Amino acid sequence: MSIMKKVQNLDTRIIYLLAWLFVLFPLISPLGLPIPISNDARNWYNYVENEVNDGDTVIFSLMYGTSGMPELFPMSVATMKHILEKDVKIVVVTFWVEGPLVFDTLIGQVDPADYGKVYGEDWINLGYIPGQETAIGSLATSFQNTVANDYVEGRPLSSFPIMDDIKSANDVDLIISFETGTPGAPEWLRQWNTAYGVPIIVGCIGVSVPGMIPYINSGQMAALMPGLTVSAEYEVLLSKPGLAVAGVDAVSTSHLLVVLLVIIGNIAYFMTKEDEK
Amino acid sequence: MVDLIPIWLCVFFTLGIYSILYRENPWFRIAESVYLGTAVGYAVSQDLLYIRNQWSGQWSQSAGMMLLFALTMVVGLMWYARFNKSTFYLYRWPLAIIVGTGIGVALKTVIFTQFLDQIIAQANTPFFVAGDLMGTINNILIQIMVPSVLLYFWFTGTTRDSAPMKVVEKIARYTMMAGFGSAYGYTILTRYSLLIGRSQYLLGIPPNPPEAKLAFIVIAFVMLASMIGYDMFMKKKTPEE
Amino acid sequence: MSNALKRIEIPIALTIIATLLQVIPYYLDIAPVKNAADQMQTVVLIIVACATFVGVISILQVHGKKIQRKSEGWEYSIIVVLGTAVMALTGLPLAEFGLGTNNAIFNYIFTNAMTPLGGTMYSIIAFFITSAAFRAFRAKNIESSIVLVAGTIMVMGNAPLFTNALPVLADISLWIREVPNMATMRGVMIGAALGAIALAVRTLMGIERGYLRGGGEE
Repeated sequence: MSIMKKVQNLDTRIIYLLAWLFVLFPLISPLGLPIPISNDARNWYNYVENEVNDGDTVIFSLMYGTSGMPELFPMSVATMKHILEKDVKIVVVTFWVEGPLVFDTLIGQVDPADYGKVYGEDWINLGYIPGQETAIGSLATSFQNTVANDYVEGRPLSSFPIMDDIKSANDVDLIISFETGTPGAPEWLRQWNTAYGVPIIVGCIGVSVPGMIPYINSGQMAALMPGLTVSAEYEVLLSKPGLAVAGVDAVSTSHLLVVLLVIIGNIAYFMTKEDEK
Repeated sequence: MVDLIPIWLCVFFTLGIYSILYRENPWFRIAESVYLGTAVGYAVSQDLLYIRNQWSGQWSQSAGMMLLFALTMVVGLMWYARFNKSTFYLYRWPLAIIVGTGIGVALKTVIFTQFLDQIIAQANTPFFVAGDLMGTINNILIQIMVPSVLLYFWFTGTTRDSAPMKVVEKIARYTMMAGFGSAYGYTILTRYSLLIGRSQYLLGIPPNPPEAKLAFIVIAFVMLASMIGYDMFMKKKTPEE
Repeated sequence: MSNALKRIEIPIALTIIATLLQVIPYYLDIAPVKNAADQMQTVVLIIVACATFVGVISILQVHGKKIQRKSEGWEYSIIVVLGTAVMALTGLPLAEFGLGTNNAIFNYIFTNAMTPLGGTMYSIIAFFITSAAFRAFRAKNIESSIVLVAGTIMVMGNAPLFTNALPVLADISLWIREVPNMATMRGVMIGAALGAIALAVRTLMGIERGYLRGGGEE
């Protein structure tokens, strides 16, 4: 069974090459696999569609940097498109240092002006606030004391009509947060949900999903968008296919590779173990 | 032509990082060095912008607030005392304030968010769900698994020698193993999602610029050829005995 | 006098006061304390922002020494120092001088260097995790078998290729997430919350001093 031993000792670079091929192939030549819609996507869609009412104030927070963009950017774009179709006030804020420039990239693809939204009246960008959880808590207490000027025009918050009725967490109806780590959902929950009862929905990278489930189960978090596959499902529900739908075939083939390698690796292991006996 | 430079730069940096998959090489070191330098420098702009904006807000409205701002800046400057051994003790003061405030801010609600609310949710999980066999089974399992995991962490050492604790230990370990399997599955999703995102850029899939595809082919060829060529050259230079 | 200022009791006292200042107003309605706590939070945000140059100075110290001594890899240190200096200088919030987040060079570097590098740096783990799945993921005993089976089902459950062919995989992976994973994470969360409270109490009592270490003195 020397073949199995050779398989076990396969050059790592061949595995890397296989990973490349299994990712690049479906991107070059899409398989067009149907995308079954999961409950996660439906819950997220239904919450934004039915629970976000006209006149509500929504915090839209990109709690990630360039490292999280490939997985979180598609869901951020899709959700922004969804809430811009509603008559809500949007306050953009971030507690991650790269967040403002990630949002600038988002604005390049989804311009609120195209939806008839006026900056300063329908939406405002407060930029980055340093201080992690302390900053999140401070913003809940007082917007004006925590952020003096807006990020886009550098003018005092009091000069924008949208901020006339937004003073603290008591004036906010929903937090939509996209995140890759700390600060993130636990901080939002501690400072806004537990203290002020503000509902929160969270889009996160796959790695963070297991830790979010107890919050979903307890009802502290209203909806969860767990990763790229569900982003694609959401884009399908919105009838606005984007980067997530374009990439989901590659998710399938790459996961197929992982499953095959696990199976082959275990077969090789057990067969060489038999040989040694 | 000038418009193509940013695209070729993006592709160069992307492939520079990926070149580590072949072996350690100068392309990777260049990309890594650029990332390290620019990431550190970038944070400066956002932090200083915040301070400048804050001054134009509540802090410049009265003499008392201005004094408080000046005092805050003095404390803020104490961070830099860490670079001198004789003044290192001053560095602990702003650190103490930050740590204390951070602990206080989290402490006041952690007992609700991550303790009481979770226990209430656990207590409210009914053992029996009418008309839903799977729901009933799942709830019974949750009512067994959660306390088992908690007891597993709380009681260690000789307290696990008793017969009931041995059962609890087994249930807890199997539960956690299944949980870790779940974490593994989602980790695969995340890492491949990141790779797919970058690959979409390299292949020029919209909304990414289509010119990236040519840059990908050319730069990948140049990098691979240089690394493989160098290896072959070194092999010839130092023939095996 | 300076020996008195060096005493460890001062930062410990500062920690205790800062902590209590945040906790007390949440449970007791004392208006002056609440106002002080709210003000303290905004003070802290500025103190945190003031630390921004610590990283820059550390980078310059480490890599500056490397360049000076022409140690191994010193050429790359020049790139690091240059990158840090350019981003820090062009990003200074001096819009009157054309600097800041709207500066052309600053945006150019962020868009064409930081964005691809940041996105690529963590994606490389995909290759390592695939290699690890092939080499290390073995069903050697019951526990590792459970991890293997649960992990493989989760991987399949996240891929439409599998869930289209076998819809039951989606249900099983959802079950793994909602039952054993939820139980594990809830148990860990409750335990971690208790640990955090215990750590906070120890810090309040001045027993926990790990965050104050360094500088060659206690």
